[in-house]
Amino acid sequence: MALETLQDIENCMNSGWTDGLPVIPPYGSVVNEMLDATGWRADDVIGEFPEHNVIVRAEQAAATAVMAGCAMEYGSLLRSLTEALLDPKLNICGVEVTTGGASLMVVVSGPVVSQLGFEHGENALGANCRANATVGRFAQMMRLFCGRAGGVLQPHGTIGHPGRISFCVAEHPETEWGAYHTQMGIPEGASAVSVMSTEGPNSCNNHYGDTAAQILDTIGDCMCHYGQTAWYYRSGGFVVVIAPDHMALVSKEFSRDEARAYIYEHARRQTDDLERMGRIAQEPIAFAEVEPGAMRSPLRSADQLTFIECGAAGGRFSAVIPRWVGSTHIMTRQINEKASPSSREAAEGNSK
Amino acid sequence: MSELPKIKAEEGAVSVPAQQITSCDDVSCELLVDPIPRPTPEPLEVILKPTERRVRFVDHSKPNSIKILRMSQQILRDRGIEVEEEILNKGDASQRMPGELLGLLSREKGLVLCGVSD
Repeated sequence: MALETLQDIENCMNSGWTDGLPVIPPYGSVVNEMLDATGWRADDVIGEFPEHNVIVRAEQAAATAVMAGCAMEYGSLLRSLTEALLDPKLNICGVEVTTGGASLMVVVSGPVVSQLGFEHGENALGANCRANATVGRFAQMMRLFCGRAGGVLQPHGTIGHPGRISFCVAEHPETEWGAYHTQMGIPEGASAVSVMSTEGPNSCNNHYGDTAAQILDTIGDCMCHYGQTAWYYRSGGFVVVIAPDHMALVSKEFSRDEARAYIYEHARRQTDDLERMGRIAQEPIAFAEVEPGAMRSPLRSADQLTFIECGAAGGRFSAVIPRWVGSTHIMTRQINEKASPSSREAAEGNSK
Repeated sequence: MSELPKIKAEEGAVSVPAQQITSCDDVSCELLVDPIPRPTPEPLEVILKPTERRVRFVDHSKPNSIKILRMSQQILRDRGIEVEEEILNKGDASQRMPGELLGLLSREKGLVLCGVSD
């Protein structure tokens, strides 16, 4: 690498064009190549934050993709992901400023996982793989650049979590229950990218249970500790990551809908205990739907629970990922083979 | 090789990002594309010193927040400070403040205290 390039990296870092890690300098010629890969024109307006007087142009997203280290062949995926990121329903500005430890989790599902070389086996939630690392980093950099970096917003996260650097999960291309995106109404054979705001993953260990119910009860218990953010507002939901060894047990007895219903029914805590522990406000607002004496689910409804199938065989682990309570939508977009304006219309209204 | 501009961040402060960086090597120069969407014009002017000695509260609907705000109202009144009786409500702490409410607050001449956090 030429020394000039190292100096360019330093200049980017010193100018605030960074997420804290070194970036690929967004040279105009390279950004143009990324624009071609996404099918955007440089001046296309791809997002807007009217209250902040901020307009997001395609050139800025393409520059961010280059800086994050994304390969050009990710272009179609990045375009769909950007559309999801900048959809007002995702509330990306809320993720930037909340005291809660929220980051943007990206889920990639369908044939694109193999086509672009995403890691979906070993260490699937923190894969040392270019596709996972850079696509996840791109999403976080978009949050940062549209938020604090432009000078309008200030972050207030109390402790945050490591996913604010990069958090991208790829699902197995072949699944027991169907691709992740089928839960949002996108066809099984399609490729898709989803984004949502979440807390960090909780590892869920059960090595000695030998029934599906034991595994689901363990997962449900993990959702029900006192410290879960969900207890009061219940407006986020959870993502459950099931790895192959647990899936082999669960899928013998449960379909995805049955597992969802089982956890919703069984994973509960006594409301009065939650109140005693200070997990419910003394004078709850109506939205919280607090019923004294009732067994309370951390889910407002069963459809707030979605499942991802990934991870390696050879260990009986799953994971529970609480979604941030301030973002009620999972934004999913189908990935078109060739980026085109039509991808903007894809999957409109498929949020959950 | 021409000298590149050196942009040094101040110690402990968020630097004002450069609008454009030029990169030059032995054979060519090209601009680096600024990735950061910036507000045009600046969306808010924050006036730190109220022109009237009065306090207005805005509730974010956080757990117990309305109780805390009511107590704060009383404490301020006990100290002889004028406090608006009506506490405005933002509705949802995690969502942006609606433009109408923001416009109303921007015309307030007293001190505005927005919400109680977790």
